[in-house]
Amino acid sequence: MHKGYKQLLSTIFTLGILSVFFIISLIIENTLNADTLIPAVFTLAVFLISLITDGLIYGIVASLLSVLALNFAFTFPYFKFNFSIPENMISAVIMLVITIMSSTLASQVKQQEKIKAETAHEKMRGNLLRAVSHDLRTPLTTIYGSSSAIIDKYDCLSKEQLIQLATGIREDSQWLIRMVENLLSVTRIDNGTVKIIMTSTVLEELIDAVLIKFRKRYPEQKIVVDIPDDFISIPMDAVLIEQVIVNILENAVQHAIGMTELTLKVFIVGKNAIFEIIDNGCGIEKDRLSHIFEGFFEKQDAPIDSQKSSMGIGLSVCASIIKAHNGSITAENRKGGGCCFRFALNMEEEHV
Amino acid sequence: MCNKHKILVIEDEINICNFVKTILETNDYQVLVAQNGSTGKTLFFSHNPDLVILDLGLPDIDGCDFIQMAREQSAIPIIVLSARTNEADKVKALDLGANDYITKPFGTNELLARVRATLRTSRFQGIGDRQIRQKVQIKNMVIDYEARRITIDKQEIKLTQTEYNIIELLSVHAGRVLTYSEIIKKIWGYSDSGSIKKLQVNMANIRKKLGEQPGEYLYILNELGVGYRMNEDNEE
Repeated sequence: MHKGYKQLLSTIFTLGILSVFFIISLIIENTLNADTLIPAVFTLAVFLISLITDGLIYGIVASLLSVLALNFAFTFPYFKFNFSIPENMISAVIMLVITIMSSTLASQVKQQEKIKAETAHEKMRGNLLRAVSHDLRTPLTTIYGSSSAIIDKYDCLSKEQLIQLATGIREDSQWLIRMVENLLSVTRIDNGTVKIIMTSTVLEELIDAVLIKFRKRYPEQKIVVDIPDDFISIPMDAVLIEQVIVNILENAVQHAIGMTELTLKVFIVGKNAIFEIIDNGCGIEKDRLSHIFEGFFEKQDAPIDSQKSSMGIGLSVCASIIKAHNGSITAENRKGGGCCFRFALNMEEEHV
Repeated sequence: MCNKHKILVIEDEINICNFVKTILETNDYQVLVAQNGSTGKTLFFSHNPDLVILDLGLPDIDGCDFIQMAREQSAIPIIVLSARTNEADKVKALDLGANDYITKPFGTNELLARVRATLRTSRFQGIGDRQIRQKVQIKNMVIDYEARRITIDKQEIKLTQTEYNIIELLSVHAGRVLTYSEIIKKIWGYSDSGSIKKLQVNMANIRKKLGEQPGEYLYILNELGVGYRMNEDNEE
């Protein structure tokens, strides 16, 4: 349905531009009496059409129509089709060639832009994979080492030692679970076959799921919730958006030093639902702020085997999830201290 | 003790089998293990378990086929183990008659809670539900099936017919997830493109009337993307 809509729009564009330029040509013809200008005007029209529409077909159709219009209205005999005069035929052929070439060129430019975007995406994926494979080693070492110790030295270990080893295994596997959840989300977006599934989700229920999930991990951390009282439903892939909010909240808990209040706020502006996660911690350094959503490849001052090094991945996952929803995400420092992560989702159905 | 509950675990991953078996046995359940679907089927029919824990990704048969087969023969409760990414699989399994699901990876507490809840609710269903039980209490809420009335702390909650019907439906199956489509089918008898929205709006109104806040739902728990679950009788 969406595709049909696009085709209709392109057709309207094509016809609209052609008729506007046809009228312009008529005016030029009548006022300036300059026949030589007309083919140039039509070439421009076809070029514009190729730029705006997707695919060669509109450009070619437009160029054919232009040739017909030129022949019909602006060459002798006026307001009659005449393909027998060689002069007219030659100018028609030249016109056709020019327009087809320019529309091919325009489509090529568009294609190149697409390829460029894809390469950037590939690069991001590669970086993510590298960072992750590195980060996976630490917890795996704990799990492998501790469990081997328990099996090999069971008789020599005190109960406390056993529990300590098992606790390490549990903690590091929980960390792995979170990491894998993030990675799964990314592959779900990237993998062309599995598209994100947009279903209308009740805001209140989403926030409920977020709070419950978050509380399981950080039972001590209170969150101030500020959402509208009305019934609000937003089309989204709920599991992924849930993860975005949990990731940002988690990022605040781990990085916003000195934080005493963490707020989750949602409000409606026009057709967008704006989500804000606000803390009053230490804020983010300026040079990191600009690329915080792609921060997974820069190992900052944190020691390499620090558990926190994973959080950059969390935020870049947020960015790609929101991007897949055609939304936008930003992070900024607040005047009063702390920072504010903000993302917007469109509330209209069948948007993506 | 011969009155231990008998649980059949059908899971091909030997490590998961081992730890599930250990947890269940140390909590006084009797455990049977099958590492593929066909052994699972055989044990299911020969041992008549009280509960089945079923992995959806078995090597030989589709877990959903197993549920279908089991439901043709019996009402023995089934808990499904599923991977996180497949909401659709969960919904399908529940709609085919599975009683509940646990998402991998899961912890021991979650597993035990689900097993207990499923065994308990299936016992109630054995006696027959609301025809025999006239009232049911969930936390501070009392549902009076005869009078079709709901009170919280003795205060009556004013509900529309539909809202009451939804609460009653969920309470009869307390502890169990009902998928959106299951609820819609039972409340309205048909479903169309607007049904889910209708259910969501009704649910939002119910929550408002019950005074529930996100993150603190006491009565009707929310399984995002799958359905709703009534909290069970006064546990935890």
